[in-house]
Amino acid sequence: MKGNIKIWLLVLVASLFVFSCTKDPVKPEEEAGNISFKFEHRIDGKAIQFDTMKYVNAAGNHYLVNEIQYFISDIILHHSNGEKQVLDAWDDIIYIDTDLEETQFHAFPDEISPGSYHSITFTFGINEIKNQSLMFVNPPESFMFWPELLGGGYHYMKLNGKWLDTLNQVSPYNFHLGIGQVYHSFPDSITNFIQNYFEVELPESTFEITAGQTLDLTILMNVENWFQSPNVYNHDVWGGDIMQKQDAMKLACENGWNVFTLEK
Amino acid sequence: MKIVMSVAGSYGQRTTEMKHKLNKVSLLTLRLRASAVNSNSLRLSASAVSLFILFFFFTSCTKKPVEEPYKPTPYQIEIPFGFPTKLNIPDDNPMTVEGINLGRYLFYDGRLSGRTHPDSLMSCATCHRQERSFEAGIDHPDFPGGHPHGLSGLKTHHVMLPFINLVWNHSGYGWNGFLYTDNPSEDLRNIEDFVRLAVLAEDEIGGDTTRVKNLFQTIDGYPELFAKAFGSEKVTFNNIERAIAQFIRTLISADSKFDKYMIGEVQLSQSELNGFVLFTTEEGADCFHCHGGFGNPLFTTHLFYNNGKDTIFTDPMDRFSVTSDPMDRGAYKATTLRNIELQAPFMHDGRFETLEEVIDFYSHDLLWSPLVDPLMHHVNRGGVQLLPFEKQDLLNFIKTLRDDKFLTNPAFSKPEKFPDEQ
Repeated sequence: MKGNIKIWLLVLVASLFVFSCTKDPVKPEEEAGNISFKFEHRIDGKAIQFDTMKYVNAAGNHYLVNEIQYFISDIILHHSNGEKQVLDAWDDIIYIDTDLEETQFHAFPDEISPGSYHSITFTFGINEIKNQSLMFVNPPESFMFWPELLGGGYHYMKLNGKWLDTLNQVSPYNFHLGIGQVYHSFPDSITNFIQNYFEVELPESTFEITAGQTLDLTILMNVENWFQSPNVYNHDVWGGDIMQKQDAMKLACENGWNVFTLEK
Repeated sequence: MKIVMSVAGSYGQRTTEMKHKLNKVSLLTLRLRASAVNSNSLRLSASAVSLFILFFFFTSCTKKPVEEPYKPTPYQIEIPFGFPTKLNIPDDNPMTVEGINLGRYLFYDGRLSGRTHPDSLMSCATCHRQERSFEAGIDHPDFPGGHPHGLSGLKTHHVMLPFINLVWNHSGYGWNGFLYTDNPSEDLRNIEDFVRLAVLAEDEIGGDTTRVKNLFQTIDGYPELFAKAFGSEKVTFNNIERAIAQFIRTLISADSKFDKYMIGEVQLSQSELNGFVLFTTEEGADCFHCHGGFGNPLFTTHLFYNNGKDTIFTDPMDRFSVTSDPMDRGAYKATTLRNIELQAPFMHDGRFETLEEVIDFYSHDLLWSPLVDPLMHHVNRGGVQLLPFEKQDLLNFIKTLRDDKFLTNPAFSKPEKFPDEQ
């Protein structure tokens, strides 16, 4: 009888072990890849040396850059089969700040279909539907707010620096882009606002996504291009501030078409 | 793991009792063996095993004396309209009702100096006066001109910054931001450290942390308050720091006329509106890039700027002293403009006594240097060139940032009685 009890207990313990274990779900074979962006900022093909008066723009202004802070949004990957994939659709406004290293790298959570892609596009700034005041309450994004009176929402970009003016004085410039205004009488009677955001298509932005792998891409801002093509932008003409100068912001935004390039 | 630890603990405490129980178990085992010899022994044995387990469980438990558990009440900060949701509260000092209550007593108790003689009492509130937005103010009876000094008479290096909305400061405390959350020096990170430094500094309280904690240990009522806040009646200086920091984090100002305007409760006067326009336009006074506005209701970025006050920079405690970046020479924190009309004197060295002087400075007296911040883009014209009526409008707008409710809020004021007086 003792032997029977032992067998009975043995069966009980064994069955406990066997039935208490469940099979790990079989990991499906990787069907998607991922993508990440690193943001770099260059002048004349080289990393910016901040706070150094060593650059000359197309207008002949000697200038330095102190900091650059900006938003891009609505990033779309264009698949060769014609499909489009919007990245990070629920959190699709990205803030980049040359003073904050953590903002210069962005890994997207999206699962991306493998295959060939022929281009990447994004909005420089934020479109008028999304660009709503107080949608960012936390710094550093909240520090980018664009005053209500001037159209509200957020700066698309703050590019701060200094240039040598006509009197050969080092003068600060705030190359700030955002919503423009049409004035009936300057400065307190505004009749209309102008959305200055624009779409960027990164040239030569073909790339391949492989299942199970993350593709690291570098997006370059070539700062000198803000000032040269198709419009020669002259700090001596526009002065140190342009938030209330739609004509200046228009020129700058027209120059934005080739400011960004992709480095694979 | 917690259960295992607890059982092990009980066992260790009750060895004698357990020996007694084990004897009982041995007797029972003998009986079980005897019964196993009989027929139908399998069923009997199973019943006996069940009985044994039940018996063991019931008899191994003894009643513990009931102790009041340490269970502080979590304190939730209400986020005012438009304010950031990210708060600077260290993980090791969560805010509790009991901690804040204790912190308020300590903030106001002159015995924070570690001394009891009426002539040498000093607390945070000696300098940080509620009616001056927790700054000294230019009319402070003991600090003429609003520049505080310690009991030794030694003046602080800079004038004061107010204790207001500091729970939203993530960029460093002090004019140069020397206390910041990821500082490699672990004892220079947050408001807690500010408390300790203030108690020790010769130009402030000039005390001794051991003496301070020992004194509060002996004052009736305080040990009980420490127990409620931190779970032990033993007073530690670390807990003194934590309690005061918790209280300071509750000092929130968000009920000014401008706040009411933001949510549509009141209208600003025409002059105030004109001032608001000047405040938030580059062609106006261009204050908003550093001092906020509708989109940044803190009315500061908490960042550091060289705002064109000087051309020679010799202050050993400017922003450069923290970052070692030569571009930061002569740079200091942009202060919040909330309640600013009560916070004279102005600038890090208190060089301006009135807001009118400050507005004149930004209008006409900016000084160019290679280090002036690029946001000071009017510097080569000497300033924003406001006309007299514009200066008045700007001043009137800035005064809409005064929050009288904050200045009189009883939750922030001196307790009627200290714990030993109750």
